[in-house]
Amino acid sequence: MATAIQATKLVRRFEEVEAVRGVSLEVEEGEIFGFLGPNGAGKSTTVRMLTTLLEPTSGTGSVLGHDVVQEAATVRGLIGVALQEAGLDPKQTGRELLTLQARLYGLRGAVLAEQIHEVTELVGLSDAIDRRIKGYSGGMKRRLDLASALLHRPRVLFLDEPTTGLDPTSRTLIWDRVRELRQRYQTTVFLTTQYLEEADQLADQVAIIDRGQIVRQGTPAALKAEVGADVIDVAVDDRECGAARVTILEMQERGELPAGELRGTASGYTLFVPDGPSNVAVLLRGLDRAGITTGPISVSRPTLDDVFLAATGGRMASRAAEESSPDGGDQRRDRDSDGDRPGATTGAGTGAGTGAGTGTGRGSA
Amino acid sequence: MTAATAPAPASERTLATPSGFASDVLALTTRSIRALLREPESFIPALAIPLFFFVVQIGALGKIAGPAFGIKNYAAFQLPVAVLFASANTAGGNSLVLDIDGGYWDKLSLTPVRRPAMVIGTLLGEMFSVVSYSVLLTLLGLAMGVRYAGGELGGALGLLALTVLFGVGFASVSVAVALATGSVRATQTTFVIFFPLLFLTPGTLPRSLMQGWFKAAVSVNPITYVLEAGRAFIQETGVAFNVATVSKGFIAALAFCALTFSLTALAFRRRARMG
Repeated sequence: MATAIQATKLVRRFEEVEAVRGVSLEVEEGEIFGFLGPNGAGKSTTVRMLTTLLEPTSGTGSVLGHDVVQEAATVRGLIGVALQEAGLDPKQTGRELLTLQARLYGLRGAVLAEQIHEVTELVGLSDAIDRRIKGYSGGMKRRLDLASALLHRPRVLFLDEPTTGLDPTSRTLIWDRVRELRQRYQTTVFLTTQYLEEADQLADQVAIIDRGQIVRQGTPAALKAEVGADVIDVAVDDRECGAARVTILEMQERGELPAGELRGTASGYTLFVPDGPSNVAVLLRGLDRAGITTGPISVSRPTLDDVFLAATGGRMASRAAEESSPDGGDQRRDRDSDGDRPGATTGAGTGAGTGAGTGTGRGSA
Repeated sequence: MTAATAPAPASERTLATPSGFASDVLALTTRSIRALLREPESFIPALAIPLFFFVVQIGALGKIAGPAFGIKNYAAFQLPVAVLFASANTAGGNSLVLDIDGGYWDKLSLTPVRRPAMVIGTLLGEMFSVVSYSVLLTLLGLAMGVRYAGGELGGALGLLALTVLFGVGFASVSVAVALATGSVRATQTTFVIFFPLLFLTPGTLPRSLMQGWFKAAVSVNPITYVLEAGRAFIQETGVAFNVATVSKGFIAALAFCALTFSLTALAFRRRARMG
């Protein structure tokens, strides 16, 4: 397997701000690479450099061995890109936009017609393709953008937050298409996302970026194994949350439960301990003895959000809110939190809300 | 050329092939023109405003122009003003700045398109507007009894050529601002430079009747010579149809274009660097 994408110490400065601070990474051909990080971490800037839109301040990048600055034209012919804000001309119809795009890639005649047909079918836009883009929904625009990135059958596909703001159906469709592309054409996919679940679902390799630097890199499984604990989520009634917290801490002190981090969530607590399945029974008995009624309980493996937390000391989803949120020691509820864990439940779209409440509970165990 | 004729197996390469500069320009110009035709709401005011001035000027001064300025046909005298006004009234960089602002510029930049084709396509779209306005106004002039010099067709085509040159040069200013700033507002306000350029001219009365600072300012404005050459192509404007007047007009228009194209090229480089 050859190297599809390589970045060596990429740096990009915008006046005072260093948006990307020495990013190095390597993506093998045929791989789906998840580039994960909160808003403003430097994901898009990295993508813009690797896709020839932005010159790096220093460092180098290459796609299939071609330098993104020196051989920008060659690189452009090899890659397909769907940027975060699907910049589409609203005055054209979908077909007109695809035709223009295809012509700029040098497609002609029968090949052009076939490709437009193929990509339109692929993203499920056949019915709307002759309508003006002005009338498209957000999800349709995103799908059209994806279609246009595939016209010339790129060998490396860059998708910058392809599903941010999409409804679950559109999101699932895009995930399926990404998998299909890899299977059909061995397309390498470089995918940025702030959804942990997305990286978990799709990516073979993941790099986590925070404040312009890569903080962890590896397979999702390996990264999660690094955290080294299971995750027990237990829901407790609002009025009993203080008592539950005291009970759990006491159990840990007495050695009934192993030491491990305890964090507040929107609906109760999250406990990080080894051997979750047997400890969940101990925990339940303890809470029961203390007369505390518990709601739904789940045991799960750590998520990438937990990896992110371990690497940076802050939750991915709460990064933006972190500075402003009050440190409310015992007050475990956070307004913004929905407390879902993507690893524990099946729900799509949980990534964004995951553990947003940790700002308050972290460090309390 | 398709993948089938290429040496490497299909999986080793993409379907992208070099498209050629002319093909890029053609594809992008087609898109610009289509966008113009789909937005008559921006097309019509650009024509209506010069027409309004045209009618008002003739109403105000038409009757006294003969005795006061020595101009036999004031409509003929005003027609080139309306034509130049309209050609400076094109959307210019507006569509381009919307592309930049909306991200479509990035999307096009990600293709192997020749970079200059992206700007040239826009300018050719503007040229289409200029030609449309000019033809309409020229026909209007004919209907109002304006007669062109050098045999009807020769004068009309001469005026058209001059207008296109000036119009594309003028559009290029707002294209430069669009590229340099990426700001919708800045691009839309580029229109204000039109005022000194088009009002410090012999728009209302012949230069021979002007005095003082106004005459001096008018005489250094290149658009003055463009306008006078425009009048030379029309009979009864008081401007003679001769080589000197016409060539001065074309030289002024060319110099104006050279300046605005250079600005556009500079702004374009800057944009390419910024990404």
